Amino acid sequence: MTDEPPGSSRPPSPVPARLPRNLPQRYAAAVAAGKAPLATRAAAWLDQRTGYSAVVKLITDEPIPGGARWWYVFGAVLTFLLGLEFLTGMALASAYAPSVTTAWASTAFIQDTLTLGWFIRGLHSFGSTAMIVLAGIHLVQVLIFGAYKAPREMNWLVGLAMLGLLVVFALTGHGLPWDERAYWAKQVETSIVGTVPLVGSWLQTLLQGGDGYGNYTVTRFYALHTFLLPSAIVLALAVHLFLVRRHGVTPRWNRDEAALAHATQSYWPGQALRDTTACGVTMVILALIVIKTHGAALDAPVDPLASSQVRPEWYALPLFQLRHYFGGALELVGTMVIPGVAAMLLAALPWLDAGPSRDPLRRKLVMVGALFGAAALGVLGYLPLRHDHGDAVFQRARAEAAVRSRRARELARGGVPPEGGLAVFRNDPLYQARELWEEHCADCHAFTGARDDEAGSAGLARSAGWNGSGVSPPKRPGLRGPDLKGYNTRQWIEGFLRGPDGPRFMGGGKLDDGMKAVVGTDQELRALTELVYAETGATDVDRNLVDSAESLFSDKDCDSCHYRDGNNENTGPNLKGRGTLPYLIDVIAESTARRLYGEKAKMPRFADKLSPDEIAQLARFVLTESAK
Amino acid sequence: MPAAMCDLHTGPRRGFLTAVTTALGALVAAMAAMPVFTFLAHPLRARTVSGPDEPVRVANPEELKPGEPLRVTVYGQRRDGWMRFDRIKLGNAWLVRTAEGRVRAFSATCPHLGCGVGWADHAGRFECPCHDSAFGLDGRCLSGPAPRGLDELEVVASDQEIHVRYRRFKVAISEKEPIG
Repeated sequence: MTDEPPGSSRPPSPVPARLPRNLPQRYAAAVAAGKAPLATRAAAWLDQRTGYSAVVKLITDEPIPGGARWWYVFGAVLTFLLGLEFLTGMALASAYAPSVTTAWASTAFIQDTLTLGWFIRGLHSFGSTAMIVLAGIHLVQVLIFGAYKAPREMNWLVGLAMLGLLVVFALTGHGLPWDERAYWAKQVETSIVGTVPLVGSWLQTLLQGGDGYGNYTVTRFYALHTFLLPSAIVLALAVHLFLVRRHGVTPRWNRDEAALAHATQSYWPGQALRDTTACGVTMVILALIVIKTHGAALDAPVDPLASSQVRPEWYALPLFQLRHYFGGALELVGTMVIPGVAAMLLAALPWLDAGPSRDPLRRKLVMVGALFGAAALGVLGYLPLRHDHGDAVFQRARAEAAVRSRRARELARGGVPPEGGLAVFRNDPLYQARELWEEHCADCHAFTGARDDEAGSAGLARSAGWNGSGVSPPKRPGLRGPDLKGYNTRQWIEGFLRGPDGPRFMGGGKLDDGMKAVVGTDQELRALTELVYAETGATDVDRNLVDSAESLFSDKDCDSCHYRDGNNENTGPNLKGRGTLPYLIDVIAESTARRLYGEKAKMPRFADKLSPDEIAQLARFVLTESAK
Repeated sequence: MPAAMCDLHTGPRRGFLTAVTTALGALVAAMAAMPVFTFLAHPLRARTVSGPDEPVRVANPEELKPGEPLRVTVYGQRRDGWMRFDRIKLGNAWLVRTAEGRVRAFSATCPHLGCGVGWADHAGRFECPCHDSAFGLDGRCLSGPAPRGLDELEVVASDQEIHVRYRRFKVAISEKEPIG
């Protein structure tokens, strides 16, 4: 029965005709009896005018030869998930704005500001993942059951096309947030499209709406994702369902037709209950995953000038890995030829395996091929994951990207300037100070805490990335001024006292006739450290220790160069208020003041270059950053 | 077997399965739909557009003479959805110096249907170009369809600067009801 040639008329429905199926008649009887409730009478009225119950019957009366089975649920769950994608997609479209300046900002708004936005976006994102997984399972089930065989070849092809549509759906949707991850992944994908022989650059230009990325790229991805692809998949689904209804489900291979016909049930309610249950379980799992992960990831807004370490989404990882094995002129083999041949083999399967038997054991070649394909996908998908797991550079890049993302999203809650996502960093109260620091201070100072003599270039490399504050590493190895990380801590001060010429301190400055190291017992140095520490205005000062240092200050000849009264001038800086905001402002404005470093100062006088406001911002910035 | 099959299609078991399936289906649909409705209803709970809450500088006192209203444009920071505009036109206001020297400010939006109210120098009164409502220097409605006088705005004036707290009000009603 299930292997009937296409076009032949179907045998009469095995559902017994004596069942009270003729709904309009039933309505008519009830209505005529005058006892029908309002809902029944309304349904009867509507049915008389539209005949809708015939359509409902078409679905509910679908004969399931052999009865309801759990392994028929995948199609229903996929249809449900498609509906969920449409629902959440429409909700997201109500808040998303496709343009280079608004895409990230509106996505962050959805994710972090709108009520349950993270949940809706998470359902949409993980729902698409679930669809690809379930479509894969559906495909495997069809392979094992031999359900692609005549007369169902067209359904097989339409199903494969839908799988392709799902992947394009996911790829285009992934680009819409226009965050780092999306931008670079899309760059790679459209570039691969560009390598197609003959028509590549033409296709790429068409896809990205120009010879580079811009507003027109986002609007194109958006139109593809929200209009073209949904229309295509709805059409394909309609054909797919029509063909399923026409040819019926494919029961297991080892049941004979008489038994199947004997055990036939209608779709409603047996199979419908199984389908609904499967949809419910899927929905619950999906919701739990979204709650657990707090929705889909959102990287920082993309800076097209700064590349970052990005991987494709998981479903594209096998292709990503495959490309690795083919370099140079052979690259096309990895990106086009092998995937293309695999797809074509899959599409041609009903004709390659045209025998009548659906028994997997009699289709060993197909089963081995399918197993090999699945294993290849699994291994190719796993290898990049394992590689990245052990790749310290990649892991650090992702960790830094996570810090950027957190910061950008935090700042975006205050609103994104009209210039777009990246401008969000301007919301940072320390943004301007950071810019000033980069321009005027970063040549000589840093907040790395790394000693270039002991760490060498490794120390610089360690600080080379984003350290959470957005401060660049010193622009040249070997700082000329002190490294200010922990500037107001006891460790820093004691380190300075023990070796003012150390590379973290004044060493890089090569001061003429600079301060000598303080020589003394640990106790004496701790006391002197506490004395200087007390000047920072710290609240946890050990007063007894400070008192004990008073005499040491002259015993160790500190007082021959340093005053501590804030007025007098000497060869070393007056230490009054050392490390406080006013002191830092003075040092930045005029380190050459006689009260400070005088003629020994190597640091320029910034009072001429920067406004008092800017100097105060910088001083505050130094205090904030040094304490991090 | 046929008996069991018939049971499933006619008997109480079918009714039970139908009820369970329908209830389960409704539950799953609600699980999907409820968050979406909550998401779409966000504007009912929170403001999506908000201007500056504090008064913004609009003029210097010497620009304003008694009996000569001054039209000023109020600029300020506005949050609009995901975006933050640091300096955006919020709206227009009329500044008036009273005989006693006090500064008053009126929204230039006509409380009738929202047109921009202008100053008619020859008549010495504010007039709306759309439906000919007229208002006195004190903002009171003199004639025309306007349901109330011009909406007064809060003024903070010092010797150096005049600040106005800009607000929008619902039009076409007799009460002065702020928006947002």
